[in-house]
Amino acid sequence: MLHGRTNYPFSAIVGQEGMKKALLLNVVNPLIGGVLVRGEKGTAKSTAVRALADLLPEIAVVAGCPCACDPDDAAGLCPDCAAAAASGELGRTVRRTRVVDLPVGSTEDRVAGTLDLEAAIREGKKRFEPGILAQANRAILYVDEVNLLDDHIVDVLLDAAAMGVNTVEREGVSHSHPARFVLVGTMNPEEGELRPQLLDRFGLCVEVRGMDEPEARMEVMVRRAAFEDDAETFRTAWKPEDERLAARIREAKALLPLVMVPDPILHTIVTIAIEMEVDGHRADLVMLKAAKALAALDGRDEVSEADVREAAALALPHRMRRKPFQKIGLDGERLAAFGKSA
Amino acid sequence: MNGLARRVFPFAAIVGQERAKRALLVNAVCPGVGGVLLRGEKGTAKSTAVRGLAALLPEIESVPGCVFGCDPKGALCPDCRVRAASGPLPSAPRRARLVDLPLAATEDRVAGAVDMEAAIREGVRRLDPGLLAQAHRGLLYVDEVNLLPDHIADMVLDACASGLNVVRREGVSAEHPAEFALVGSMNPEEGELRPQLLDRFGLSAEIAAPREPEERLAVLRAREAFDADPDGFLAAHVPAQADLAERIVQARRILKNVRVPRAMLQLIARLAAEANCAGHRGELAMRRAARALAALDGREDVREPDVLEAAELALAHRRRMQAPPPPPPPPEEEHEHDHEHDEPPPQEEEAAPEDDDSGARPEEREAEPQESGEDAGEDAGEERPPPPEEQQGGTPLPDVRQIFAVGAPFRVKPITFRKDRLARKGSGRRTRSRTTMKAGRYVGSLPDAAPTDLALDATLRAAACRGGRRGDGDGPLLDIRREDLRQRRREKKIGNLIVFVVDASGSMGAAQRMSEAKGAVLSLLLDAYQKRDRVAFVAFRGERAEVLLHPTGSVEAAFRHLEELPTGGRTPLADGLAEGFRVIENALRKDPDTFPVLLVISDGRANAAPEGVRPVAAAMLTAGAIAEDGRVRSLVVDVERKGMLSFGLARGLAEALGADHFHIEDLKAETLVQVLKDAALGGQER
Repeated sequence: MLHGRTNYPFSAIVGQEGMKKALLLNVVNPLIGGVLVRGEKGTAKSTAVRALADLLPEIAVVAGCPCACDPDDAAGLCPDCAAAAASGELGRTVRRTRVVDLPVGSTEDRVAGTLDLEAAIREGKKRFEPGILAQANRAILYVDEVNLLDDHIVDVLLDAAAMGVNTVEREGVSHSHPARFVLVGTMNPEEGELRPQLLDRFGLCVEVRGMDEPEARMEVMVRRAAFEDDAETFRTAWKPEDERLAARIREAKALLPLVMVPDPILHTIVTIAIEMEVDGHRADLVMLKAAKALAALDGRDEVSEADVREAAALALPHRMRRKPFQKIGLDGERLAAFGKSA
Repeated sequence: MNGLARRVFPFAAIVGQERAKRALLVNAVCPGVGGVLLRGEKGTAKSTAVRGLAALLPEIESVPGCVFGCDPKGALCPDCRVRAASGPLPSAPRRARLVDLPLAATEDRVAGAVDMEAAIREGVRRLDPGLLAQAHRGLLYVDEVNLLPDHIADMVLDACASGLNVVRREGVSAEHPAEFALVGSMNPEEGELRPQLLDRFGLSAEIAAPREPEERLAVLRAREAFDADPDGFLAAHVPAQADLAERIVQARRILKNVRVPRAMLQLIARLAAEANCAGHRGELAMRRAARALAALDGREDVREPDVLEAAELALAHRRRMQAPPPPPPPPEEEHEHDHEHDEPPPQEEEAAPEDDDSGARPEEREAEPQESGEDAGEDAGEERPPPPEEQQGGTPLPDVRQIFAVGAPFRVKPITFRKDRLARKGSGRRTRSRTTMKAGRYVGSLPDAAPTDLALDATLRAAACRGGRRGDGDGPLLDIRREDLRQRRREKKIGNLIVFVVDASGSMGAAQRMSEAKGAVLSLLLDAYQKRDRVAFVAFRGERAEVLLHPTGSVEAAFRHLEELPTGGRTPLADGLAEGFRVIENALRKDPDTFPVLLVISDGRANAAPEGVRPVAAAMLTAGAIAEDGRVRSLVVDVERKGMLSFGLARGLAEALGADHFHIEDLKAETLVQVLKDAALGGQER
């Protein structure tokens, strides 16, 4: 968990607009399914994700529930909360949405959860001890260097991501709990690619690289130095900016359910998916959700062609059908050409 | 099903994917059809469809209170047998279950294990039933079934084959009926399914996203409506769901009356024979599916369209299995002429060994569908270079650099090495190895008085079984002694480090050799990708060798170097070998658990070396030194054209290296692995 650490202010990150936009869209609509940030080292990937924690909205949770169940969603409660709800009122509390770290070296029992040792020895009872996936429910699950994650941990993630439920059938315990999370991963492609199934679980994908303009590079150094000299002063200076952004996110979230998608726009979305020969339906869905979130962030209640084009650039790069080992990336010209012909 | 109430996208609202839906409905009507495998690209509602089915499963009569949900009129568990002896068993309806088997499940939860709580509190050793028990008379669902670990898959297969789950472990001995239909979904991009497992699925269906805008739009609209308001969406589909559920109930009711006319039986047999199905499971599944389809239609006679539809569902994955047919002396043929017609009897191929790929019967190869999705290189098919123009192999070496296109890739049968005895660490999928780190999949436990990685559950069960309960009211209830301690056994597939040492000299430019060599490397790279191998790339030409790519998990990077690799100049073979070995030595120094493979692609001709050294002798000397070192497994892929002026130099090189020698054409014949395993590795593991 990333609280207690002093985060660099999100608004103070220079450039990297695509990455910042992708992260914000996921805050506006978590159903977009996360973002994969690809790029070389030292491009503010981790900084941005951690900074995002300060912008996340507050949510109501069941007090004391390890998977932060939503007290207003009777059908989605974990077994413990469901039992508690049946016998009385659930305690509720409001707290900020979290960013939960999944370290690359994690073991399966830490990730999925395991048998509670104390309960077993003291009371002779089998009880479930929740793991990282429980904490990740209704949170952002952040995996730095996601391409280095062990295969069997990826399997656990895929299982949970498929239905938003973590089903544990291991080491003497049988338990399941909700595990709906926004998956955010960073990776350096030089160290290897992601498995196709996991790749598809990331709603959006952005490529980041170091900036070329000397002025931007200067600005990065200047701000970083100021932050390292005196983090608190720096944060205070950027606070109004971050607060404006947080307010924009709140408004966008409120607006999102009202955003309309005209029929021709829906047509554009499926036509892009067909023309660009993507695998499966997730591309269409993510494009639609991202386009709506873009409109909402912009304060509009109707999706435009431009929103769809921007959403496509974020939703398609990792879903294009590729020849073996062809580089991951979007055929920008094709997309642009499509935009003109449409 | 394993506990949590979920909002599942309703089955009746799934747009398109008719074949997959039919296959699932057939299983709901008649689980005896043996389950279904859904294969398809990512994001195509495979698991949505399966989970949607759970809500439509009909109620079945079962013994109330029985943990296995025994059928009062069917196979009984030991408890029910005792009860049945003293009078008729009670019966009550309950919904058939769809039980999730997560990939990370451990053996104790799949098969069942001693009930720790009962052992502690009541001092009895009782089975705490696992997922196989829950799935009895229902469906067992494995998402990403091609990734299921072998030791779990074996348990499932055993139960599938016998309809019984036998538990003999950790102080319990029990058995109970476990009749279930196996439902799996998979994305073939992640690797293929073991043939034994594939054959267990009664039906299969390919799922692909439609390319029709209208249909795609309908999918998009439905899903977005569900996401926006799941409860409202579910409510709107209640009537459609109820209709479908009722149709299943009706179909089940009339199923036993459905007759299969003789002509239809003959059609079934003929279709199975035409598809060259191994074994009789195809016919059986087809017949059952045809009956269920007729019943779903409300009819009591099977007609031709039923059979044809059933054939599509039951034969697709069996036809595909023809690629790896039984080894040359085929297993004894069973002559079961049930129907008099003159098709040759299909061969029984129960649990064919997984990696057999030799001795394919020619007609089976023809039967292989052209659009075979398992061909790893399918996408590159259109890039096939024009047929090589015949040139003379021994033409003088042009000292110009050329870049040859990458030849068409072909599917390399997986290179597997026997299970490694050393404890190594790493992460990959090729070679299974015991692992010393606290990482890797937990596959079992062993008694260990001083465990470094405590198997908590097994330790507790051991203590509980010993009767390790403390009498006094205070303090811990469970008394754990040293003798109870159990160490986790973990297993992890470690990838190999494959160092490609590629000859890029002028002689490789002749007769499309470089193109072919590149094609071979690409094929090996594709294989390396699925196995999570690390790769490095060394090329030699001109005066010396060069490490183009240091060990990396990025097979893509290797491919880029391959694509751009120029050809031309002389052949410093010795330097190439030395450089490749240096890369391996470095990797071993960094991580002694690396499992290195040196893969030399060359015609074996050497004509460049430092002054005063004979190039061929230098190469042989270097090869000998590498062989002497003993830490490296080597392979030589010979690119010299067969039949022409062949020098056999690469063979000599292979001998000096102590390596296996393959001709590039053998690689294409897909025999690499078999030879590899038999010759070099002295036996196989699995």
